[in-house]
Amino acid sequence: MSTTTMRTGAGTRPARRTSTLKRSQTIAPWVMLAPFLAVFALTFLIPIVYAVGQSLTTVRRQGLFGEDGVETVFAGFGNYVLAFTNDSFLASIGRMLLFGIVQVPVMIIMATVLALMLESASAKWPQFFRAAYFVPYGVPGVIATILWGFLYIPGLSPIIDIGRLVGLELDFLGPTTVLWSIANIVTWTYTGYNMLIIIAQLKSIPGDIYEAARIDGAGAWRIARSIQLPLIRPALVLASVFSIIGTLQLFAEPQVLAASSPSIDSEYTPNLSAYTAAFAYNDYGVAAAQAVIIALAAFILSFAFLGLVNRKPQEERMALRQRKAALRAFRAGTTTTSTTTGTTTRQGSDS
Amino acid sequence: MMHSISRRQALAFGMAGAASLALAACAAPGGGLVNSRPVIPAVPGEKITLTYWAWLKDLQKVADVWNAQNPLVQVEAVWIPGGNAGGYQKMYSAIAAGGGPDIGQVELRQLPEFLLANGVVDLSRYGADQYQDRYDAGLWQQVSFNGSVYAIPQDSGPMAFYYQRELFEQIGATPPTTWDEWALLAAEVRQTGRQNYLDVFPVGDASVFTAYATQAGAAWFRPDGDRWIVDMLDPATLEVAAFFDRAIDADIVNTGYAAYSPPWYAAAAAEQVYGVTGASWGDALVQSISGGEGKWGVAPMQTWGDTGFGSTYLGGSTSAVLANSKHPKEALDFITWMTTSPEGIDAMIANSGIGWSPASDYIGAARAEPSAWFSGQNYNEEVFAPAAADQSLDWTWAPLTQFALNTLQDEFRLKVTSGQSLVDSLVKAQEDIIQAFVNKGLRVEGVRR
Repeated sequence: MSTTTMRTGAGTRPARRTSTLKRSQTIAPWVMLAPFLAVFALTFLIPIVYAVGQSLTTVRRQGLFGEDGVETVFAGFGNYVLAFTNDSFLASIGRMLLFGIVQVPVMIIMATVLALMLESASAKWPQFFRAAYFVPYGVPGVIATILWGFLYIPGLSPIIDIGRLVGLELDFLGPTTVLWSIANIVTWTYTGYNMLIIIAQLKSIPGDIYEAARIDGAGAWRIARSIQLPLIRPALVLASVFSIIGTLQLFAEPQVLAASSPSIDSEYTPNLSAYTAAFAYNDYGVAAAQAVIIALAAFILSFAFLGLVNRKPQEERMALRQRKAALRAFRAGTTTTSTTTGTTTRQGSDS
Repeated sequence: MMHSISRRQALAFGMAGAASLALAACAAPGGGLVNSRPVIPAVPGEKITLTYWAWLKDLQKVADVWNAQNPLVQVEAVWIPGGNAGGYQKMYSAIAAGGGPDIGQVELRQLPEFLLANGVVDLSRYGADQYQDRYDAGLWQQVSFNGSVYAIPQDSGPMAFYYQRELFEQIGATPPTTWDEWALLAAEVRQTGRQNYLDVFPVGDASVFTAYATQAGAAWFRPDGDRWIVDMLDPATLEVAAFFDRAIDADIVNTGYAAYSPPWYAAAAAEQVYGVTGASWGDALVQSISGGEGKWGVAPMQTWGDTGFGSTYLGGSTSAVLANSKHPKEALDFITWMTTSPEGIDAMIANSGIGWSPASDYIGAARAEPSAWFSGQNYNEEVFAPAAADQSLDWTWAPLTQFALNTLQDEFRLKVTSGQSLVDSLVKAQEDIIQAFVNKGLRVEGVRR
């Protein structure tokens, strides 16, 4: 259709010129895109395909160390079977689900509350506090963990000393508590970052909506509940998806804290498990399979979450279903029904 | 038009996919057998430069001593992160890519993994066997496989018992000579304060348990023809496991943290740590306890009574000639000079703070002197030199050491979290380790008892 329009537009020009123009127009976008595509393929597509390929191979050896022969063979889904029958790896995924179910909502709620408070009319020095809450995000995970480690380690931690004074025996690094100590570090690091995403969305709400609300007599609480929260929904969804993906990728915090907490093992998180398989056991096939599984899990969880929050309300879904049924009837139906349903369809697409 | 784009897209994707699959096929670790290639002769009269990747401090200063005497064979030291913290990853990748240094620092326990990755040169083909009598017999055993030598021992860590003299005097105790005495004393120390312990048992670091089992006479791995025998449930190992099961159940040993970790240092400075069973290289770490100067002493390691050995090794590393070296003979010459000549050993101690010398007849000039920090005790000659001589000669590491240790310590952690006994952990770990051998494509058999 676009080709027809173009040809009519260039009607006065010679036909030959048109055809070269057409060809250059076909090639030009690809020339322009080439640098991007090259880097994209090199840093994104090839590593993914490479990892998937490697996850399907295994090494066979002859002799005590493979000194009599080594070959890399196709293993089918053998590495995936090994990954899924590895209890520690499965436990690490379960651990991260538990972590995410608790930590992500806590963090998003805290970020939302902070954002709403800083964007409220009565906020004092909002710029200063916005920067202050964001600062932890600038601290690398390893450093943050070392900092918090000093507050967790018995004998060094003033918190434990204070707890002891009031008769509380605190153990931040014990088998059941260390996961939540890590959650605390992650929350500390990323709450300010998520707050900033939400603030950016809050700032895009036009001032006249607030004005109209205030004229209608809405207070600060009502504005937050009925205007701000519904309008920052996209930012909340985005922040949540990022956090879900980030949770599955937890690595640096447990890795660093393992030096002080015996409860953190070599497969405490899925990423640690893959790291151990690849670099401690030299088993790149299983590590690649684990990496693919982690990526798929992040994919599935993110889309499940998106599907959940983007579900349309009950009435809307009903209306959509009716409209679709009507459309089908219109296409297959007789002339008499087509006039009535045709109107419905047009109305539907207009709204 | 749309049609042609999607076809081209499909083609591009397909090509990228095919290219990377080809890449995957050739880059998988374990290609080419380095020790089937012809021996590389030495090149006389030509200046060459060897590179040595190690995580030793100031190693270049050691190499410079050699470089001054050997203008034709210059050694360049390159610092890499320590072992599993990134150094091995770097070496494995370099070897897989067909490059890498001439010499690499490889821990004794990691050496079989490098053999498995086809990463080290068989040094017997370059005449290493003639140096055997210069080295400690137990260490030589740990670098020999299939009748060949695959690396040269560089340092080791015979174990002993470090203790706080004053605290021991306060309770009228002397250093334990057997593990049973250690247990009695440990119970006594628990009476002195709620936070006080005699020693630690690191559930998160199985290499310590492995060292104790070796002391008792265990030999978990041994080659038999072209297959491996895994024997982790022998009486010696089970005795050690049951001993620590009892000690942990009675809360006479600290499992909360490992030795030399930040909480350990805090507790040691607060005089809540009465002693620690540690390797010779632990002296430098004990010396970093704040306010500890003059308070600590060193005693011989406690033994398992009538069975086993006086001491055991914890840690230790080798200098290995890596697969893609162009000058293995010269590299071997440098390594043997570094690890057996007095000037090499002294330079390693002075600059790199190297662990116990692998040479059978020289511990280093600095170590023959009394230590001011340890109240003038001449502990190296008194304690560690006899300890290095009283070692098991049966221990062999296997190609899955890292996996074995990780599996073991992941099981051991369950002692603290869910009360699973160390003995049960050993049974489960042996099963997993045997399966891991199979998954690696090796032949293996477990000893059932």
